[in-house]
Amino acid sequence: MASYKLTGALVSALVIGFAGANLHQALAQEETPAAATTKHRDAPVASVSQDQLSGAAGDENNFLHTNGNYDQTRYYPGKQINTSNVGKLRPAWIFQTEVKESLETTPIVVGEVMYVTTSFNHVYAINAKTGEAYWHYKHKMGPVTTYCCGPNNRGVAIYGDKVFMGTLDSKLVALDAKTGSLIWQTDISEPELGYSETMAPTAVDGKILIGTNGGEYGIRGFVRAYDAETGKLLWNFHTIPEDSTGVWATHDATGKDMHRDIAAEKAALKKLGDPYKTLGGGVWQNPAVDLKSKRIFFVVGNPSPDLDGSIRPGDNLYTNSLVSVNLDNGEYVCHFQYIAHDVWDLDAVSPPILVDVKDKDGKTVPGVIHGGKTGNVYVHNRDDCSLIRFSEAMVDQTGMWSLPTPEGTPMLPGANGGVEWSPMAANPELGLTYAVNLHQPMTYHVESSPYPGGKLWLGGAFKVIPGSEQFGNVTAVDYNTGKIAWQKKTPLPMMGGALATAGGLVFTGEGDGWFRAYDAKTGDVLWSFFAGAGVNAPPAAYNVDGKQYIVVGAGGNVQLDFKRGNNIIAFTAD
Amino acid sequence: MLQLSRLAHGIFFTAAMLICGTALAQDTPNIAEKVKLCATCHGEQGIPINKQTPVIWGQNEGYLYLQLRDFKSGARQNALMGPLAAGLEKDDMLSIAAYFSKLKWPNLEQPSASGDVATKAQSAINSVGPCTACHLEHFQGDGSTARLAGQWQDYLHTTMLAFRDKSRGNNPGMSDLMKATSPEDIAALAQYLAGLQIDAYLGHGR
Ligand code: HEC
Ligand code: HEC
Repeated sequence: MASYKLTGALVSALVIGFAGANLHQALAQEETPAAATTKHRDAPVASVSQDQLSGAAGDENNFLHTNGNYDQTRYYPGKQINTSNVGKLRPAWIFQTEVKESLETTPIVVGEVMYVTTSFNHVYAINAKTGEAYWHYKHKMGPVTTYCCGPNNRGVAIYGDKVFMGTLDSKLVALDAKTGSLIWQTDISEPELGYSETMAPTAVDGKILIGTNGGEYGIRGFVRAYDAETGKLLWNFHTIPEDSTGVWATHDATGKDMHRDIAAEKAALKKLGDPYKTLGGGVWQNPAVDLKSKRIFFVVGNPSPDLDGSIRPGDNLYTNSLVSVNLDNGEYVCHFQYIAHDVWDLDAVSPPILVDVKDKDGKTVPGVIHGGKTGNVYVHNRDDCSLIRFSEAMVDQTGMWSLPTPEGTPMLPGANGGVEWSPMAANPELGLTYAVNLHQPMTYHVESSPYPGGKLWLGGAFKVIPGSEQFGNVTAVDYNTGKIAWQKKTPLPMMGGALATAGGLVFTGEGDGWFRAYDAKTGDVLWSFFAGAGVNAPPAAYNVDGKQYIVVGAGGNVQLDFKRGNNIIAFTAD
Repeated sequence: MLQLSRLAHGIFFTAAMLICGTALAQDTPNIAEKVKLCATCHGEQGIPINKQTPVIWGQNEGYLYLQLRDFKSGARQNALMGPLAAGLEKDDMLSIAAYFSKLKWPNLEQPSASGDVATKAQSAINSVGPCTACHLEHFQGDGSTARLAGQWQDYLHTTMLAFRDKSRGNNPGMSDLMKATSPEDIAALAQYLAGLQIDAYLGHGR
């Protein structure tokens, strides 16, 4: 330990320094920066009705939902840009945000107005035709922000005359869509206990739906509905039930042995009790909404701590699961758990998609599909969440499920999984879903420590295997058979997500700056654009004045350390 | 030279509070006056008095607050800071954190790491995490995550090893990451991080 000279000066400093008991009163007079909106002019936006939101799947003009529509297909119905003219795509405009950091935003477009968000919760309203800004809102961030994986934000939801955003300090804000001024702000949860928001909310029937991050901090996860008008909490669904033990499943959804020591877990349960209060189970991405049955479908992330199962016996319900609840009241409907008692953080993050699928008898039924971090696409029956099939592995799964050890066990896929948060896109005409993959060989290390009260709680570490090659894929999976239709390798692991269009195209970007269009049927690359910074955000499409645009953020990625930028780039074919 | 023991310091501090707390409460000296005590170790101009005392000027607000909270609760143990934090209430800690976070990080004039050390550090950075996933691209940190760029090399080295052997126990996640990093890599990281000059990159965030 260092030694210190305790001089007279220090003694008197101690005395004077702490003389006033109400230290904070003096300091509180310091100016506190308020949330700030810089307005150039009002955004000429009309109120967005529920009918418009419900009809988004057939709407070529607007892009009203983060994942395109309530089914979350990310299938844009316009064909103006198609396989024959995509080669002529050129930037129509580039908008530069003030924040040069990871972009994961999906632009939302209403008429001529586009809404984008950046890291650290800035929101911009910009002219979708010209790229000029209408207004810029900066959230007043609280001091404590305990996010995993970067200060990201994935975009706004729009409803009526407001836009909604979740913030890193776990608040939900509602802004005037025209002026960008703050209408209301609600505390979602306590950032000091590890709660934060990066997902875009979903707006439906006057409700704003949002989950929470925090699976790396020992939170108790949830999905909530807030009143769009007032910000009042309408219902809360705990993603972790008070009895989280489950059925003691020994194999995962694909039939692989997870090497659980059930006897040891049962003994731990007796000693420690149910771990539900700090069991994690974040929800990172938007729920899909089945308007007919008034049910929502979302996936729940990993248990806390990520790699150490010894202190959280049981299946850890509903972590690593597809879950459905009632839209009106948040009541549980059904769930399906992919990996019980996960100790690899190969959880469920990418947003589920509602499509009709063929069941085991070849009958067409309403389905739900999800691209797991395992690297499999899972196909479910929407009625009861049951699994119909799972796809061929899109990535190498060598060593799955070797248990983590203190020295480290090699296993694939790595910590970021075979599919990360990146949304898939589906083309229902072709019966294909498009996923972007990662290949990152790592060793899995376990290290036990007790709940640290909201601090980072991994229960170990993931370590890149030195000298090993990393890469990515773009993969098309036939969800009616589970077979891979085509697969294209990319030089870097993929993160960002896909957009499919009725023009027979699939768009997705890469960490080195390339943004490409693929032939939806064959996977041939039909067009490429170099953006100069990582294209790691999900693309969107819209049409203004009879002209179709493709738009994407190029801001790089913090989690994979891809080159940062601050560009929103819109393309037209001319 | 005097080794301050936790106990002696604690008693002294409490006494100071008791004797002077009410007498001088009416005075409202400015903020700089209020936090003068901190300057005796953390430096008048933000340059700490020795290399084991970290820079707190310009450090991130949430991080500063949580450290004071943890020194007080004992989750982070330090014979000097523990007794100091013991007398602070949550509002005080938040105010102090806000105050120091707004001051300019001083330049400690530490040399940038040589090619070999930088390469070693870079490989360690990419091995777990990567570090930049949380500490951000220029190791400027944000919110509850510490700025590391331009911090004292000795302090960084000591505190990473303390995470590693869990003598610094207030962030098990950082302990796990350090456990997965070799002591040689930690030495390289400390040298590399200390030598980063990042003024040009600040201000892109919140
Ligand atoms: C007697 C010397 C001394 C005084 C006075 C002092 N500190 Fe410290 N402080 C230290 C030392 C030494 C450390 C490093 C502790 C460790 O290594 O864990 C430290 C650490 C800290 C840290 C953690 C920084 C980091 O990077 O983790 C904060 C915050 C802090 N001090 C705030 C303050 C504040 C605020 C005051 C005034 C109220 C203050 N200190 C007064 C010696 C001092
Ligand atoms: C998952 C997020 C995360 C990753 C990855 C991460 N850190 Fe940290 N680190 C933190 C947080 C949060 C803190 C604040 C610790 C606390 O709460 O006391 C921290 C604190 C530190 C500190 C102490 C700073 C101080 O002033 O005392 C050092 C040094 C550090 N990290 C180094 C690293 C290095 C080197 C790496 C990569 C090998 C790394 N960290 C990776 C989140 C992370």
